[in-house]
Amino acid sequence: MSKPSDLIQGTLDLLILKTIALEPMHGWAIAKRIQQLSKEVLQVTQGALYPALHRLEQQGWVRGAWGESESGREAKFYTLTKAGRSQLDKELEQWRRLSSAVVLVINAPQEV
Amino acid sequence: MKTGRWWDVLRMRFRSLAQRQRVETELDKELRYHVERQTEENIAAGMNAREAREAASRMFGGVSQIVAECRDMRQTQYLENLVQDLRYAVRMLSKSPAFAVVIVLTLALSIGANSALFSVVDGVLLKPLPYPQAERIARVFYRSTSYAKFPVNPWDFLDFRARNRSFENFAMYTHADVQLSGSGSDPVKLSAFRISSGYFRVLGVQPARGREFDFSEERPGNGNVVILSDRVWRNQFGAASDILGRKVVLDSQPYTVVGLMPAGVDHPGNSYNSVAYGDTVDAWTPFTFDGNPNNRGSHYVEGIGRLKPGVASEQAAADFNGIMTELASQNEGDKGWTIYMVPLFQEIVGPVHKMLLVLLGAVGLVLLIACVNAANLLLARAAARQKEIAVRAALGAGRGRLVRQMLAESLLIALLGGALGALLAIVGVRVLVSFLPPGFPRTDAIHVHGFVFAVTALVAVATGILFGLVPAVQASQTDPQQGLHEGGRGSSGSGRQTRLRAVLVVGEVALACLLLVGAGVILRSFVNLLRLDPGFQPEHVLTAEIALPNANYKTTDNIASFYQRLLAKLNTLPGVHAVGAGTDLPWTGYDENMGGFTIEGKNPPPHEEFHARYHTASPDYFQAVGIPLVHGRVFNEGDTKDTPRVLVINNVMARRYWPGEDAVGKRITFDDKPKESDWFRVVGVVGDVKDTPESKGAEPAFWWPVLQQPFPFANMTIVLRANSAPLLLTEALRSNVRDLDPSLAVAHVRLLDRIAEEQFSTPRFALFLIGLFAALALLLAAIGIYGVISYSVSQRMHEFGMRVALGASSWNLVKMVMKQGVLLTVIGVAIGLGCALAFAGVLDSLLYGVSARDPLTLIGVGAMAIGTATLASLPSARRATGADPMTSLRAE
Repeated sequence: MSKPSDLIQGTLDLLILKTIALEPMHGWAIAKRIQQLSKEVLQVTQGALYPALHRLEQQGWVRGAWGESESGREAKFYTLTKAGRSQLDKELEQWRRLSSAVVLVINAPQEV
Repeated sequence: MKTGRWWDVLRMRFRSLAQRQRVETELDKELRYHVERQTEENIAAGMNAREAREAASRMFGGVSQIVAECRDMRQTQYLENLVQDLRYAVRMLSKSPAFAVVIVLTLALSIGANSALFSVVDGVLLKPLPYPQAERIARVFYRSTSYAKFPVNPWDFLDFRARNRSFENFAMYTHADVQLSGSGSDPVKLSAFRISSGYFRVLGVQPARGREFDFSEERPGNGNVVILSDRVWRNQFGAASDILGRKVVLDSQPYTVVGLMPAGVDHPGNSYNSVAYGDTVDAWTPFTFDGNPNNRGSHYVEGIGRLKPGVASEQAAADFNGIMTELASQNEGDKGWTIYMVPLFQEIVGPVHKMLLVLLGAVGLVLLIACVNAANLLLARAAARQKEIAVRAALGAGRGRLVRQMLAESLLIALLGGALGALLAIVGVRVLVSFLPPGFPRTDAIHVHGFVFAVTALVAVATGILFGLVPAVQASQTDPQQGLHEGGRGSSGSGRQTRLRAVLVVGEVALACLLLVGAGVILRSFVNLLRLDPGFQPEHVLTAEIALPNANYKTTDNIASFYQRLLAKLNTLPGVHAVGAGTDLPWTGYDENMGGFTIEGKNPPPHEEFHARYHTASPDYFQAVGIPLVHGRVFNEGDTKDTPRVLVINNVMARRYWPGEDAVGKRITFDDKPKESDWFRVVGVVGDVKDTPESKGAEPAFWWPVLQQPFPFANMTIVLRANSAPLLLTEALRSNVRDLDPSLAVAHVRLLDRIAEEQFSTPRFALFLIGLFAALALLLAAIGIYGVISYSVSQRMHEFGMRVALGASSWNLVKMVMKQGVLLTVIGVAIGLGCALAFAGVLDSLLYGVSARDPLTLIGVGAMAIGTATLASLPSARRATGADPMTSLRAE
């Protein structure tokens, strides 16, 4: 699952919001973290990540600020805003509903 | 929390727009950081530095694509594109300035005219009246089979006030000017009204100081109190702070000032002895109810009321009609009347409502024509730019992007036109207001202001989209291949485009014809009015009003002898041809109307009564005004109070009440049980004068001799017919009046021809505007025809050359070109005249003596349109004859 189009529309936003919910992160770290947590299954390409970050910033869910990274260079760190936090809750709720619905469907006994 | 987010969003949008450079740099830096980290990771995984960097970049994909996508995420792309489009549009327009100037100017003219007229409509028809909750104020009139709108009887008023359940306050007022003396200078005539208690509560205005009249002041003997206007207080009393309680002398009687109204209390307008809405009123005195409460026959007060919240004027009218029925069963004089109730707003603007809407419609049509014209010119340009558009499409410009590009151009044109139009509107409104006829309601409420500009801007944008969309969509449908092909060959635009342009021209011609027909019939109506025999001779006549104060002129004898002496003195002045005195002037609105007299030997038809306008006049009054004697004689010095009573009547009265008989010698009386001396004998019949030039016909009317007036007519108009230069007699008139009684004011000195002329100012105003609009429309249509024909000729020069080579004469070519222009026009004329016939009903009520379906006008307009089309096609036809066969042959 390397192409962003394989991600269900809107899922990337959820992943990003969830990832930076704990602490502010820069883009590279966000991509890495998603990759690690998903046990290398989800690979977020930069081509999808940065436009997504930009969109989230434009919508006021996240706020970007320049800071010193762990490698000692300047990087843009993204923080979840208050509005972003409630948006994350909303999207999580939505995701849980959706995924459990999908599970219900695919686990339904097959009639022959 | 919500606001916090929107603040963030706004901040980001602003940043993306205003600090674009910085945002781009930061994005670049952010992406570079990412690549560096990836490179480091790759090195850690064992690659060498070069491999690592290349791998990282590869993984990253196209940087420029990401940058572009991020930019899209900022959602400001459309704005940036718009700026780009507008810049391009400015470049394209400045390349063909003549084209731009023509479109912008025609749009500016029509948008400016629309805004100016809209300002007038806004001020007159849309703005509420300056009274609190003005929509609850209604005017109350009587109505009968003979009279659509008639004043109220004062005793009836008391019954209505006591019994109605619909009005919070019901009041009445009647025009009764007073003479103020003893305030220092010469006596002055004040415009004054007698009002019932509660009048100002109906209007919703409070005195600035003091109080309104109470019921006790309506009783005879208690009425010597007055409320003054702010203007009189300042001009006549030097804004004295101790004005309340002061005694002032009105009509030689002492009055106590009990109230002072604030500045800007607008008079609601009245119709009997009319003073227009918003005109100056200087003083108000209480109406006192003296006399016999059973006298229900005289009508001269005007009802006005403030409806209770939630009560419609129709409900109130039903309530009043119920009371009217009760009254009619109790009083003979109240029979035959119903109530006509009308909201005050409608009463004030009603007379001009229709005309303004027609004018607004006309100017709207002009704008529509300007739009069609602009669309037409844009289409022509789009055709010429087909190659450019095809290239852009071939290079990958999307359809939406092309449409937007074309729309940007038309919007730019429209906005330029709108801006210029707004400037024109500011000037235009001043011009319009200065042209407004006297007596036009609410002129001081007309201003160009923010709302009007907002509407102008909206109109401009809508206009831009309207005339830009068709050419834009058309152009975007250009097939790149065909476009490039055709463009390369320089041949004509697609057939569809040519057809569309032809349709637009037909539409323009049709709309212009519609306007021309309107202008034409209004012109004919105006000419009819001017040609009308007014029934009197207004030239070289000076008029002035004199009011004799009741205190000094108590009896009819006092009054009659004053006027007799004054007229005798004036008669000896050099340069005076004839001088008379009368209670009315032609075309100044009717005043008195008498119902219920008895004609000897006749009975009125059931449920009706004999009625006529009544006046008094001195013997030479008729000669001074120029009303011709038809039959019998006018009054003479022998008609005194000691001789048998006589009357002069007008033609209409003679024909209506004595049809087929000689009215002279017949008698009427105003008493129920007449003695022999109560009979008035008709001695003469004079010509008719209508209430206004537009009235359908004259009303029956009669005159008493001044010396035999049955009740006192203290206010009279002096009429001086001069051999020449009547204004030179003004001073002599004043000094003669002063010689007789220095306490008298000579008021309203006017020339009769000016009074007559004012009657034509409303139709003249309508004619002026609609004529202007029609001329503009015709000009626009001519530009449209010229544009289409000239374009078509330029496309067909090659073909014409071939024809010449094959033996066609110049005349053949001219005919071909002209035929095209005239054909389009004929179709347009047919449609336009058809529409004119269909909408004729709209104009009918504004016309005098001509139908909106007037065949002469229709034919004239058709001929004019075809003539214009011929002229507009001529230059192109001439150009066609210059087609060079050699050029065409060589091109083959």
